[in-house]
Amino acid sequence: MSRSPSPRPGGWSSPGLNTAYDSGGRNSPFANGGSQNVTWAAAQARSAEVKGYPGFAPRNQGFLGRHFRKISTSLPFSYGEKEKLGRGRYQGNKFVQILNRIAWNLWRLRKILGPVLLILLTYTLFYVTPLHRVYRRSSWFGGGNKFVIILAANQGGGVMEWKGPREWAIERDSVKNKKKYTQKWGYDLEIVDMSTKKRYAHEWRESWEKVDTIRNAMRKYPHAEWFWWLDTNTFIMEPTYSLQKHIFNSLNAVTYRDINVFNPLNITHPLTEEYLDVETRSPIGDGKVDSINMLVPQDCSGFNLGSFFVRRSVWTDRLLDIWWDPVGYEQKHMEWEHKEQDALEYMYKNQPWIRPHVAFLHQRKINSFPPGACGDKGDDPHIHYKEKDRDFLVNMAGCEWGRDCWAEMYNYRQLSNRLNRNPWEKLKDWISDSIKQHKAMRNTNKEEKKG
Amino acid sequence: MPPRKTSRPPPYAARNNSTLPIPPALKNLLRRDKLRLVVVGILGFLTVLWLLGRTGNDGGSAAQKATTPVPKIPKVAIGSGPPVVIVTVIDGKADPTWAAKIKKNREDYAKKHGYLTFFPTNTQYPTGTSPLSWSKVPALRHAMTLFPGSTYFWFLDSTALIMNQALDLQSHLLAPAKLEKLMIVNEPVVPPDSVIKTFGNLKGDRIDFIVTQDKEGLTATSMVVRNGEWAKYFLDAWFDPIYRSYNFQRAEIHALEHIVQWHGTILAKLALVPQNLLNAYGSGPAHAKYGTFKEGDLVANFPACARDNKCADEMKPFFDILDGKSTGSN
Repeated sequence: MSRSPSPRPGGWSSPGLNTAYDSGGRNSPFANGGSQNVTWAAAQARSAEVKGYPGFAPRNQGFLGRHFRKISTSLPFSYGEKEKLGRGRYQGNKFVQILNRIAWNLWRLRKILGPVLLILLTYTLFYVTPLHRVYRRSSWFGGGNKFVIILAANQGGGVMEWKGPREWAIERDSVKNKKKYTQKWGYDLEIVDMSTKKRYAHEWRESWEKVDTIRNAMRKYPHAEWFWWLDTNTFIMEPTYSLQKHIFNSLNAVTYRDINVFNPLNITHPLTEEYLDVETRSPIGDGKVDSINMLVPQDCSGFNLGSFFVRRSVWTDRLLDIWWDPVGYEQKHMEWEHKEQDALEYMYKNQPWIRPHVAFLHQRKINSFPPGACGDKGDDPHIHYKEKDRDFLVNMAGCEWGRDCWAEMYNYRQLSNRLNRNPWEKLKDWISDSIKQHKAMRNTNKEEKKG
Repeated sequence: MPPRKTSRPPPYAARNNSTLPIPPALKNLLRRDKLRLVVVGILGFLTVLWLLGRTGNDGGSAAQKATTPVPKIPKVAIGSGPPVVIVTVIDGKADPTWAAKIKKNREDYAKKHGYLTFFPTNTQYPTGTSPLSWSKVPALRHAMTLFPGSTYFWFLDSTALIMNQALDLQSHLLAPAKLEKLMIVNEPVVPPDSVIKTFGNLKGDRIDFIVTQDKEGLTATSMVVRNGEWAKYFLDAWFDPIYRSYNFQRAEIHALEHIVQWHGTILAKLALVPQNLLNAYGSGPAHAKYGTFKEGDLVANFPACARDNKCADEMKPFFDILDGKSTGSN
């Protein structure tokens, strides 16, 4: 077919030749459907109308126009690529090539990599979302709902004492610490206001509310089994220890029921009166885990109720009921300066039914003391906190009598944070520390040279 | 040169000559397409084992780790022995012929109904400086130690006589259904107007302690305690030195009234029954409505006789009745 335009003006148009020469960049001449009767002269006249512009418009202006082909050919999914494969032509730059190969290999290994990625994803999702808390809490898997921490706040406050900013700060820190711990492991936290209440003040039983508080908690959490009492001045140093792993999975191994193992009160044990039954006379009760209903640590002067466990049971119900008695109170309230703690010691000594169900925990298992409590040196291996052994909890017992509660709390919090850094933080700290050390070394060297 | 291939191939493929003979079923299993199934199955099984191990962890593995040897405590089921043990504390200084008669009274009754008796003396327990009447509490505990298979322990003071030897205590009072009908609910524990009243919604089979009331209050001269953990708690709490040293006016009776009124876990196990069913008074401050001894009552009690040391005299007519009866029936 002849490609020449029609010799007659107004004749048939010849597509591809008689339109304005590529006026719209990459526009196809076919798109210009309206110009059926364009002649060479008309086109020339029209292009001349455009003043200031040369008749020739260069094609491929703009970035995409200039580079589109290069980019599109270097894309990994370009179909044009296949055509060119192996023909020794240009295949994009090196970097793109490498990327390409990696992607191709990954795609090939998708059957292996897919599951691995899936596992990683579920793992991260498990720990990023609250799913792991649900897991740890559920009675079937983690069993966290079996534990309740009862935290005494506002001890001795209320009408008796005004709280200063330091006391508030201590309380805030302590509560935050326990909140974080209980959330992590799916336990429940019950914060109780221990401010001296009128209710008890007129009944002569100030700060005997421990019993009522535990009872209320038992009512509030009907599915929980173990209740852990904690005073305000305590700090959980190792939040990564779960109660199950730390104590309850091996309850028989971590506790001792024969008080002669550590007996600061010199309680005669076991009982020998012949009217008592064999189990009551036995030094360790019946020796079964199920019969343990109370876990108490002992410090240098006897039982310590700053941190102790009770289990929901008929026995506990009876103990809580008999614990406070007006006759006992009337006779002994001058003598029992630690109130329910002394009362419990008294009952342990004098009411044989209690012994087979109480087990003792080593003090440093749940209730390490700082120096200043039970000896100023703080080196008693039974009692005092040791950083090296990563003790679970510090109880700043008695810090309100002449020691600085806030300073102790602050120091232990910092220490706990430092001990429980993640590897990344450890690396950062290590680098900054070594730089500091290096600088310090240099300075001392210089000084030596000067001197 | 490789050996020549035989021109007559065997009709079937040669057996695999491996030293380990693998049964064809296993071989089939090991084929690749099935291998995946097998591996998944094993993994699933292990997961199930792991989960089971986790749930059973609390009891099982911990018990194995026990450091101290578990003592051998003979397990005697409550209810496997004679149903009732009658406990009477004998005053060591009392007239021996009278004491023998008292013992015989109990023994006769026990023999008739298949019960047991236990007669400790009032000085064998560590009552310390407190009145000897406290010895009934450890005596009951002692009886429970000696007869762990029995269910009911009936403390009957030496001032009382069992008058109706034919009346079986168990069917007459202790059977839960019977007890539920007999017990007095919503009654002030200490008459006339204690705020604490006996519970109204108790079930007969939950009762561990059966006691009566005379004119002045609870009586501790005839009472029944059911064997069990609660009994240990109750008796030990009652015997606490803090109450013994408190100088309650009526010693253990006031201590009992005290713990019953202050401790709900004790009151919740207590059943108050009409006095004549368990502790009718031959003399003394009997309950106005149903306290005085009548013909046919189980027990005749003379609560004040020991203090005045005239038990033998007061009991004489009653002994006569008993003797007449027993001779008459024989």
